[in-house]
Amino acid sequence: MIEVHNLRKLYAGGVEAVKGIDFDVAPGEVFGLLGPNGAGKSTTIGMLTTTIAPTSGTARLAGFDVAKHPLAARRLSSVVFQEPVVDRSLTGRRNLDIHARLWEVDERETKPRIDELAAILGLSELVDRPVGSYSGGERRRLEIARALVSNPRVLFLDEPTVGLDPRIRAELLDVIAGLRSRREMTVLLTTHYLDEAERLCDRIAIMHAGRIVALDTPVALLAELGREILELRVKGSPREALDALRTRGIVGDEAFTVGATLTVPLHDAGAGDAIAAVNELGIATAISTRQPTLDDVYLRLTGDRLAAAA
Amino acid sequence: MSAATATASLPQRRAGARAFASLGTLTARRFQLTARTPRELVVPLLTPIMFAMVIAPALKSALHTDASYESFVALGTVGLLIPLNTMFSGLGVIVDRENGAQRELLAAPIPRPLLVLANLVVAFAITGLQVAVLLAVATARRINFDPTVAGIFWFVAAAALFAIGMYGVAEILANRVPRQEEYIARVPAIAILPWFLAGSLFPISAMPTGLTWIAKFLPLTHGLALMRYGLLGDRSGLHHIWGMGDATAMAALSLLVLVVFATALTAGSIRVFTRSALR
Repeated sequence: MIEVHNLRKLYAGGVEAVKGIDFDVAPGEVFGLLGPNGAGKSTTIGMLTTTIAPTSGTARLAGFDVAKHPLAARRLSSVVFQEPVVDRSLTGRRNLDIHARLWEVDERETKPRIDELAAILGLSELVDRPVGSYSGGERRRLEIARALVSNPRVLFLDEPTVGLDPRIRAELLDVIAGLRSRREMTVLLTTHYLDEAERLCDRIAIMHAGRIVALDTPVALLAELGREILELRVKGSPREALDALRTRGIVGDEAFTVGATLTVPLHDAGAGDAIAAVNELGIATAISTRQPTLDDVYLRLTGDRLAAAA
Repeated sequence: MSAATATASLPQRRAGARAFASLGTLTARRFQLTARTPRELVVPLLTPIMFAMVIAPALKSALHTDASYESFVALGTVGLLIPLNTMFSGLGVIVDRENGAQRELLAAPIPRPLLVLANLVVAFAITGLQVAVLLAVATARRINFDPTVAGIFWFVAAAALFAIGMYGVAEILANRVPRQEEYIARVPAIAILPWFLAGSLFPISAMPTGLTWIAKFLPLTHGLALMRYGLLGDRSGLHHIWGMGDATAMAALSLLVLVVFATALTAGSIRVFTRSALR
């Protein structure tokens, strides 16, 4: 449904935001672009939604090249933007109605569909009020409803929960998770919240500095770190502690440091030998073991190991 | 799925009908947004009405001119109303970009020039309404006009083309400056300064030669001369520009200037918008 090949964006001024990325998204798949601010996620969505011109490479939605057939690509997709993008002085219903008209939804279907979406997203009591009176979470739910009015084949969600308080964010995640039941719809989601990506996405591409540095299912990405990891709070230099552990053959290339914390994937090795070695070296103020999370995958790929290699 | 297959599966409405329907939706939206901002409707009307109703009679009395001067100034104030109103309309573009739904519209399956044309339709309609109000108030104040059918054509054509061109200026400026404050700061230079040079309150021949020549290149000078020719039968404004004897020929030439002005600025505004919208 989405095909991206060697897509690149060089902005005026020489900033290369996206450095030749490739990925495909299957119909009905929920695909996540995960990365820190400045990784190139929003630029990628901008190119796929035809609001940013690619410098080179190709991107297709359902076979339509976004640069050569932008109207056709836009006709089958909808976007929920990172920032609020609504007409605040108009009612919620009018905002949805304008979308329906521009996307050529059958007029007979528009009102029932708006009423249905308003009910699903908990907006029935609000939808005839001006959007300026909505809370942040209500407005974001309205934007999701608006994107769904045209029953898009591809839905882009650009950091849909950023800036929302935890309760509203949790509610909204439930709403987005509910979209998975619409099997005919492909979803491309960007986020820098790892729990969001793990919960919602079938596959995740981790972006860093304009490149995709990992692409797989959440389970497969986690499996790269094994069943257990060892986490140390180190005394002195984390780098020297890492070197000492490497010298003893206790850690491999996949260990990484963030601040004063040293994280060691254990794979199939037991924690006992590693803990004994750490105690013998006297380099740690605290030692713990836990199961790996996507945070670990993300930090390993985008943290100091990559920075050091750059 | 290939692009060709997907194209075949799309609704087969003709592109023209589709664009027209989208233009209608965008225009209705802009009307609704504008109607909720009374500032855009009322403020531009205040200064011209004050000129026509208060200052022109006062000048007539103080300068001991006759009633025709009131008519002269009343039409001169149309040359202030149109730029003020179109420039205020341009503010809506910045509001749309900063706090409105412009990005949603850019992601819609419509040709992007329609966004500019919808704004133009609304600015044009509101300007027309305001000009009608100004002339109605002037008539109620017993300021005399002498319209003929041909005269009304010249007036309407001049006012319409000038309004279209000025909205192009507003749209270009709105897409060039990042904030409302910077936009507002430029409005006097664009909307008011030319008004003093274009023969609004006195004939351009009353100015020093250099300024008279500058005035001949201002679209507003041509617009005002045509409007006065149309509603007052006064060909002196056209003569000061062209120096010819045939009034119809001079009117046609000034109309041509306004056609070029309106066409160039509208095309320019669409180009600037579509370029600024696509990063």
